[in-house]
Amino acid sequence: MLLKTSLRSFFAHKGRMALSLIAVVLSVAFVSGTLVFSNTATSTFDKLFAATASDVAVQPPKPAEDEEQQAAVRPPTVPVAVAGQVASVPGVKQAVGQVMVQNATLVNPATNKLVGPTSGAPTMLGNWTETPRTPVTITSGHAPQGAGELVLDADTAKKAKLGLGDKVRVENSGGKHDFTIAGIATFTTTNPGAALGFLDTPTAQQVLLGEAAYTSVEAFGDGSRGNDQLKADTVAKVGGGYQVKTAAEQKEENTKQIGSGLDFMKYAMLGFAFVSAIVGGFLIINTFSMLVAQRTREIGLLRAIGGSRRQVNRSVLVEALILGVLGSTLGVAAGLGVAVGLIKLMNAIGMDLKAADLQIGPDVFVAGYALGIVVTLVAAWVPARRASRISPMAALRDHGTPAEAKANLVRTVVGLLLTAGGGALLVLGGQSEKAATGGQYLGLGVVLTLVGFVVLGPLLASAVVRVLGAVLPAVFGPSGKLAQRNAMRNPRRTGATAAALMIGLALVIASSVFSSSAVTSASAQIDKSVGVDYIVQGGRTEVTPEMLDIVRRTPGIDHVTTQKFFPAKLGLPDGQSAKNQLTAVPPAFFGSDFHPSLDSGTAASIEQGSLGIGAVFAKDHNLKVGDRVTVDYGRGRTQTLPVGAVFAKGELFGDGSFVAMDTMAQVVPAAEQPPVWTFFAKASAGTDVARTLTALQDGLKEYPQLVVKDQAGYKELVQSQINTLLYLIYGLVALSITVAVLGVVNTLALSVVERTREIGLLRAIGLSRRQLRRMIRLESVVIAVFGAVLGSGLGLAWGVTVQRVLRDQGLGTLSVPTVTIAVTLVSSVVIGLVAALVPAFRAGRMNVLSAIATD
Amino acid sequence: MTTATAAVYDPQLPGGASAVAASARQVTKAYGSGETKVTALDAVDVDIQRGRFTAIMGPSGSGKSTLMHCLAGLDTVSGGRIWIGDTEITGLKDKQLTRLRRDKIGFIFQAFNLLPTLNALENITLPMDIAGRKPDQAWLDQVVETVGLAGRLKHRPTQLSGGQQQRVAVARALAARPEIIFGDEPTGNLDSRAGAEVLTFLRRSVDELGQTMVMVTHDPVAAGYADRVLFLADGLIVDEMHAPTADSVLERMRRFDGKRTS
Repeated sequence: MLLKTSLRSFFAHKGRMALSLIAVVLSVAFVSGTLVFSNTATSTFDKLFAATASDVAVQPPKPAEDEEQQAAVRPPTVPVAVAGQVASVPGVKQAVGQVMVQNATLVNPATNKLVGPTSGAPTMLGNWTETPRTPVTITSGHAPQGAGELVLDADTAKKAKLGLGDKVRVENSGGKHDFTIAGIATFTTTNPGAALGFLDTPTAQQVLLGEAAYTSVEAFGDGSRGNDQLKADTVAKVGGGYQVKTAAEQKEENTKQIGSGLDFMKYAMLGFAFVSAIVGGFLIINTFSMLVAQRTREIGLLRAIGGSRRQVNRSVLVEALILGVLGSTLGVAAGLGVAVGLIKLMNAIGMDLKAADLQIGPDVFVAGYALGIVVTLVAAWVPARRASRISPMAALRDHGTPAEAKANLVRTVVGLLLTAGGGALLVLGGQSEKAATGGQYLGLGVVLTLVGFVVLGPLLASAVVRVLGAVLPAVFGPSGKLAQRNAMRNPRRTGATAAALMIGLALVIASSVFSSSAVTSASAQIDKSVGVDYIVQGGRTEVTPEMLDIVRRTPGIDHVTTQKFFPAKLGLPDGQSAKNQLTAVPPAFFGSDFHPSLDSGTAASIEQGSLGIGAVFAKDHNLKVGDRVTVDYGRGRTQTLPVGAVFAKGELFGDGSFVAMDTMAQVVPAAEQPPVWTFFAKASAGTDVARTLTALQDGLKEYPQLVVKDQAGYKELVQSQINTLLYLIYGLVALSITVAVLGVVNTLALSVVERTREIGLLRAIGLSRRQLRRMIRLESVVIAVFGAVLGSGLGLAWGVTVQRVLRDQGLGTLSVPTVTIAVTLVSSVVIGLVAALVPAFRAGRMNVLSAIATD
Repeated sequence: MTTATAAVYDPQLPGGASAVAASARQVTKAYGSGETKVTALDAVDVDIQRGRFTAIMGPSGSGKSTLMHCLAGLDTVSGGRIWIGDTEITGLKDKQLTRLRRDKIGFIFQAFNLLPTLNALENITLPMDIAGRKPDQAWLDQVVETVGLAGRLKHRPTQLSGGQQQRVAVARALAARPEIIFGDEPTGNLDSRAGAEVLTFLRRSVDELGQTMVMVTHDPVAAGYADRVLFLADGLIVDEMHAPTADSVLERMRRFDGKRTS
C-alpha cells in the first residue's frame, strides 16, 4: 500500500524527478566510471607484467637515502659476473643480463624532433635479449647487431614516421650516438605508452652505461622450483647486497608505479563525483521539500484518516529510494560510457588500453549504488521529517500552499557560529608561520565557512535579496517588484537553490585568485631578482658540456651559469643534523644573475667560502651568520663552513642552501658531482635579447629535448603550467554549475506550478505575457546572482587565505582577478536567464481562466 | 489606446454610447464539436447599463459565468460580438485584451484575489503599477475610505480576514476607475455578515462613485443588492427583473427549479 502510493507519486512527478535523477546519475556515473577505468587499467597492466616479468630478478643494491640523486644520474648496475652466478643457481634455466635505462633521448636527426613520448610515459633504451617472456617481437628487419643498429618499437616508429633503414640518434650524457633502424618490434601485450629502443648488448653497455655491466639480471626457472625457493637460492649465491625480487614482487612494484601515474586522473574524477554528489544533494533536498510542500493537504488528509507520522515519513523516503535506485542504475550504465571515454583519452596519449576488456567488478555496483542511494536518502531525510510533522489540520485549510518558511533562530545561531569559526580559522591559517599548519587551518576553515554559509543561506537570502532586489523595482517596474518579493517569500528554498550555485562559483573564484596570484608572484619574483636573460631546461636527460659550449659560443651571450643540486645533510652546531637542498653555484650566480633579498650577511660571502641558508631553515635551527655548519654532500664528502648569508623568506629558490662551486669542488671530485639539468645564460650588454634567443634556439636545434626560454617566455611557460591545472578545476566547476542550473530550473518550475492562481490573477488584472515572463526571469536572475554573490565572497576569502598560507612558497603577491569575478557575476545573470527559459515559457502559455480556477 | 485597437462603436445598436458600458450581440460559446458539442451561450444579446449594478443569476451550468468571462475578455467567443464601452473586444489579440483588462476592467473573484507577497495598499494599486500609471491620490483615498481599510493598508493578505481581503479586492477594482467591474461570486466564500458588508460597498460604489458593476451570483440575497437581475438558463437569457429584492429573486429562482423537475 505504502509502496504503491510512493510509486504513484513518483511517476506523477516525473518531470521534477528527472532533474534530480540527472544529478544522481552524474555523480554515480563518475564514481563507477572511474572504478571501471582503474580496474581495467590495473588488470591490463597486471596481465602485461605477469606476461613479461622474469621469475627472479637481481637488481642493484638499493641506494642509501641520501644518494638517491646520484643514483638517478648514473644508472646503478650489477656486474656481468652476477649473470653467471645466477645461471648456476639450481633450477634456473636461463639468466639474462639486461640493460634498460630511461636517461637517454631519441632524436630523429633528419628533422631534429624528439622520437617517443614527450611527457608521461618514458623513453626506454636497452639491450636486445631473447627471453621466454619478452613484451615485444621483431616483426620486420632483424635484431640489432654491432655498433650501428637499433630496433625501435612499432608504435613509436609509426608516430615518428620512421622505418627500416632510417637514422635515429640516441642522446645522453655521453653525447650523440647515431644508429640505423635495423628492426621494428611490435608489442605482444598492451603497450603502456612507452617508447622502446634496443641495441645489441655490448653497444648498449658502452653507450648507455659507459661500463660493461647490467642494470639487472633476469632469471627464468625450469619449473622445478618455486620462485620463492629460487629467490632464496639466488640471494645465497649473489650475496645480500643486491635486491632480489620474484615475479610477484616485480609485478607489485610495477603496478604501484603505474598506479601512481593513474592516481591523478582517478582523484580528479572522484573530485567530479564528489562535487556533483554534493550539489545533487541540494537539488534532491529541494525537490522533495517542494513535493512535500505541494502535497501538504494530501499528507494532512492521510494523517487525518489515521496515517502515522512514521508512515508519512516512510512514504517520502521510499520515493527517495526509488529515485536513488533508478539513478544509480542509470549512473552505473553511464559510468561504462565514462570509462570508455577515459580509455579513449589514454589511447590518445599513447597508452594502449582496450575498451573491449572493460573490467566491471562487484565493487563498481557496490560503490555506485551506495553513493546514489545514500545521497538521495540523506538528502530526502530533512523533507521527510518535515512531512511527518504536518498536522492533520492541514487537510482542512483552504489552500495547499505551504506556510512561508522563515529562517529560525537555532539555524541562525548555528550558522553564525560555523561561519565565525570558519572565518577565524581562515584568519589563523593566513597568519600562521608554517605553510603546513596554515594549510590545515585553511582546509578546516573552508569546510566550516561552506557549511556555515549553507546553513545561513535562508537568512542571507532574505538580507541579500532585499538589497539586490531593491534595484529591481526601480529598473524593471512591477515585474521587478513582484520578482523580488517572490524570491524572498521562501528564503529556505532560495537559499538551498543558490547554495548549489554558490559552491561551484566559490571554487571558480578561489582557484582563479590562486592562479592569478601564482602567475603575478612568479613574474614579480622574476622581475625583482632574476638578472639572467635565458633559461635552458634539460628535460629527462642531463645537460652535456657540448650544449653549454654551444650556448657560450652563441654571439651576444655574455656567460653561462650552471647549478648543481645536492640533497645534503647539514651538521648543526648543537650536534644535530638536518636535510636541506643544497645548490652549488658559480661566482656569476649571485654576482649578476640573481638578486635575492637577504635577511643578514652578504651574498658575496658565499663566493668566499661561506654557506648561504634560507630564513626559515635558519629560524628552525636557530642559526645565524657566523655559525659553523658541517656540510655532508653524501658518500662521506664533508666540509665545515661558516654561515655567510641568510636569504629572506619566500625567495625564488625556496628555503634551500647555497655554496660556491669552488668550495664544493674542494671536497667532491668531479666524477661524483651531479650533472646539470637546468642552466642560465646572460646576454652581453646592449644585445638584442629576442634575436639572441632565436640564435640560441637555432644553435641548440639538434637537442630537441632542451627548452630554451627568455624571461618573457619563461613567464608564459609558468602561466601555461598553472592554467593547465586551472582548466581541470574549471571542468569540475562547469559540471557543478550545470547541476546547479538544473536546481534553479527545478525551483522555478515548481514555483510556477505553485503560483498558478496568482499568475492567473495577475494576467486577469492586466499583467502582459511579456511582463509575466520578465517577472520569472528576474526571480531566476535574483536567485542566481545571490548564489554568485555568496560564492564570490566565499571564494575570495578562500583564495586570499590560500595566498597568505603560501606567501613563502612562491605566492608572495596577492592578485585578485577582477575580470574573472566580474565575468562570474555577469555569467550568473546568464545562468539565471537560461534557467528561466522553460518555466517562463510555460507560465506565459497558461490559460488565464483555468489558472484562476486551479485549486 | 482606443484609436489604435478599437473598432468604432456601432451607432445602430440600441442604447447609445453614454448609457451602455458593455454589450453583447448574438454571442455564442460552444465547447467541443459534433456529437459532444455543448453550447454554453446560445446567441445571447445583452446590454449592461452604465452606472448600474447588474446581477447575473441562473442555475449551475446555465452559462452565467461563461457570459461574464466573455464580457470581461477572459474567454473567447465562438460567435457574435462584444463591446466594452466603444471598443469591440471580439477579435482582439491577447496583448490588446490584456491592456484592455488592465485599463478598462476591474475584477473581483470569489477567492484568492490578492498576491500574498504584496501588502493591502500594493495590491490595491497593482493594476496601475502594471500599467506604469500613478494612482490618483485623492481618488485612492476616497476609495480606501469607502471600503473602510484606512488602518490596514500595510497589512499582508494573510493578516486580514476573509471579508477584509474581499474589501481590498473591491478597492483594487475601484481604484483604477475602470469602465466596468466584474465580480465572480465575490461573496461566495464569506459568511453572511462579511458578505453583506462587501455587497454594501459594491452598492455604495455604484450609488456614490457612479461605478458600473456586473456580478455573477447564485445567492438571491446578493442579487437583491442589484438594480437589475438577468436570469440565464441553458445559455439563454430567459428573464430579467428590475429593482429586485431577495424574496422576489428567490421566488423567480424557485420557478426554475420547478420547471426543471417537472
